[in-house]
Amino acid sequence: MLILLFQSFLRATGVRLGLGFLLAAGLISLLVGRQFLDRQQRHRHEVGAAQQAELRQLAQFHAKEMGLMLYYAQFGLVNETPPLAGLSIGQRDVNPAVQRVTIRGLEAQKYDADLHNPTNLLLGNLDFSFVLVYLFPLLIIAFTYSAVSEERENGTWRLVAVQSRYLPGFLTQLFAVRLAVVLAVLAALLLLAVPVLGLPLDASLGLFAGTAVGYVLVWFGICFWVASLGKASGTNAMLLVTAWLGLLLVVPAAVNQYLLVRYPLPEALATTVRQRKGYHEKWDLPQAPTVARFFAHYPQFRHFPLPATSFNWLWYYAMQQMGDDESAPQAGELRRKLYQREAASRQLALLLPSLHAQLGLNDLARSGLGNQVRFLDETSRFHEQLRLYFYPRIFGEQPVAAEPWDRHRVQVFTDRAPLRPAGLLLPPLLLALLLAGLGWRNFRRHLYQL
Amino acid sequence: MLQALNLTKRYPAGAAGAADRPALNNLNLTIAPGEIFCLLGQNGAGKTTTINLFLGFLQPTAGQALVGGLSVAEHPLETRRLLAYLPETVMLYPNLTGLENLDFFASLAGFRYSAAERRDLLLRAGLPAEAHARRVGTYSKGMRQKVGIAIALAKQARALLLDEPTSGLDPKASNEFSELLLALGQAGTAILMATHDIFRAKEVGTRIGIMREGQLVETLPTHSLTASELETIYLQTV
Repeated sequence: MLILLFQSFLRATGVRLGLGFLLAAGLISLLVGRQFLDRQQRHRHEVGAAQQAELRQLAQFHAKEMGLMLYYAQFGLVNETPPLAGLSIGQRDVNPAVQRVTIRGLEAQKYDADLHNPTNLLLGNLDFSFVLVYLFPLLIIAFTYSAVSEERENGTWRLVAVQSRYLPGFLTQLFAVRLAVVLAVLAALLLLAVPVLGLPLDASLGLFAGTAVGYVLVWFGICFWVASLGKASGTNAMLLVTAWLGLLLVVPAAVNQYLLVRYPLPEALATTVRQRKGYHEKWDLPQAPTVARFFAHYPQFRHFPLPATSFNWLWYYAMQQMGDDESAPQAGELRRKLYQREAASRQLALLLPSLHAQLGLNDLARSGLGNQVRFLDETSRFHEQLRLYFYPRIFGEQPVAAEPWDRHRVQVFTDRAPLRPAGLLLPPLLLALLLAGLGWRNFRRHLYQL
Repeated sequence: MLQALNLTKRYPAGAAGAADRPALNNLNLTIAPGEIFCLLGQNGAGKTTTINLFLGFLQPTAGQALVGGLSVAEHPLETRRLLAYLPETVMLYPNLTGLENLDFFASLAGFRYSAAERRDLLLRAGLPAEAHARRVGTYSKGMRQKVGIAIALAKQARALLLDEPTSGLDPKASNEFSELLLALGQAGTAILMATHDIFRAKEVGTRIGIMREGQLVETLPTHSLTASELETIYLQTV
């Protein structure tokens, strides 16, 4: 009988069109992901090669002065892109995956971004997570809005109700058939993604699939509950499309606005202004106090004497350091607010399945705000390491040629923030169960009515 | 087998079909196994309401509908298992063939038939063999009605409820259907049939009930009457 239900469902022209459309969108999203990963990989290789060539060139050009050499020398830190990011690009398209920093003031360099095609940024990427979060619900709605009401409207319900030995079982099968078809499309796309994107078969992929299934289940829960209200097909369709608009467009926009108001970020500009002032005003001030404050920050360099010249590198890098030191409160505030926004959106996401799925997928793909903030933190650490390594070599006037420049390769940051399987999987499952339970309660009241 | 005890149905005020008088008023009726009871009456006389009460689609306002001695309101699943039903317009799944629809509805009721058995059932119901494997979306009303007859036969029910079953059937098919009903009656099935067709009712019915405004006003045995006598009584009653 299940086979007959499948046949009856799959033979409908609309169903085939919908499935074809979803599969096509899914395939396109995989190609978009492949392109994205290729681009990231190309950039990474190019940056690595460029850094080696550039350092060699600079070492020849500024062979006399270590300080001048390091004024120009840039060192790259790559935010490693896991293949899963091909499925959920998240903020990876806006935020640079490679930070190239000199040992001068960090704050001025931290938020330098790549150049982007503004049209792409406006539309967002058609990546797999978009297909899942936005398009899958549309198909689920199209498949289920009339699942029960249509039987009543077309008159088959009479015969079904009299023939069926257990009507709730038939009802379950109606939805199970549709769920199976949608999950089959999901599984096909994810299986195809493994070779196309070169995904490793690991826990992250398992959780990614689990999150996707959870999201699909929530939408089936919503559709089941709406069907249980016993309204006409047209009313169901309107209710569900309204739910789609609300959950995917209206409420997220409201949440975003709330976060912007609740955690404003004027510090981005304040940090820049403070950092510039901290650095530039030092040009007009005597050298000694600046250097004294520099030594207070780094007592280990106290033994380097301040040269009695109108310009020297110790003073110059002390000025640069003051830019960072004096803007540190603003920078810290910015970082704290970014973390707060991230935490607040996570809490709200517990109630918003669409947001929860998107954030969860981005977490797993290491392409969300959390990853970006951690990458910025790592950039700060990386920058600090460079300073601590090069300051003594500059102040001690080590010859440029004595430094093994080839050893300064591009570093890679691998985000290993722990994943929380329960936090990812439980909220959608509980919500789906709740909706299914409420739906059952409604159905029991009018299952046998016409 | 089928029994109505003071069966009354009053639709809530303001609901569709609500009127001052009850849709069904104090119906008392017993249909024994092998008996074919034909309900005659104008549109709105309460025939379909009676059938819907036996099927459990409606809850009685007062009284009881019993199937096999069990109250429909209290044992909806058990009583439905004893019943087969043929609605006035049989609606099926348009994307499945006649054979597949029969298979589907039979398995809903818990019956597995081989392909040969299903073909045989459809032939008995009068559906020509060449239509069996065609999708029901291409069927006429009469052809769907025949699949509905086959579905009712497949359930091997002890009681059969028919609501204007021959509407949409051509005279030849109606005739074959009458023979089918007589055979079922002889095999011990209790049959309740709502109809407008006085002559058909005289032909197959063992008894005839005439309804008017929700009340069973006359019950007559058919063997003692001719069709024209019956028509006269009917016209006088309604």
